[in-house]
Amino acid sequence: MSLLMIIAVLLGISSLAGIYRLVMGPSLTDRVIGLDLLFAIAVAYCLMAAWVSERTVYLDVAIGIALTGFVATLAWSNFIQMQSNHHSGNSS
Amino acid sequence: MTMIISILLIVSVVVMLIAATGILRLPNALARQHAATKAATLSVSLFVFGLIFQAIHHEWGWEWLVRLGVLLLVLLITLPLAAHALGRSAVIEGTSKAQKSS
Repeated sequence: MSLLMIIAVLLGISSLAGIYRLVMGPSLTDRVIGLDLLFAIAVAYCLMAAWVSERTVYLDVAIGIALTGFVATLAWSNFIQMQSNHHSGNSS
Repeated sequence: MTMIISILLIVSVVVMLIAATGILRLPNALARQHAATKAATLSVSLFVFGLIFQAIHHEWGWEWLVRLGVLLLVLLITLPLAAHALGRSAVIEGTSKAQKSS
């Protein structure tokens, strides 16, 4: 039980770094990087919930979160690339 | 067996903390992307391995092993692709900003 508490607290501390980068990031890519770290931490929390409750439902939730984070990251990075190409095309 | 599981989980969380430190401290977006994606992939994979050992140790059944294997496969396929897309967008955004400022 104490090991689980330590793991939960340390994951929470590292999610604070992701939230800071998501809110304060100087560029748009930094915010997406913070979001990616938060998705990874959410997967780890889902695995912890599956471990504590001994139910396999949380593993399905973890797979869903991993796939959603992948699609979100790809969509945001494509958006950033399209926007940058558009701006550089306009300026030059 | 319990010792192995504890060591795997502790190492996983420490690697996640290293990823968080890299996200906070590194200078530009490309370096931050390297810190975040590689370390987070390793951390979640170690967590999945710890849970696999836990499921084998407590004999929770094959549903756990199948779902954990699928989750590990999904993570190892999708996270490098996300890392590649993030690095590409970081480089393109940086060069477009440099062109705009010059």
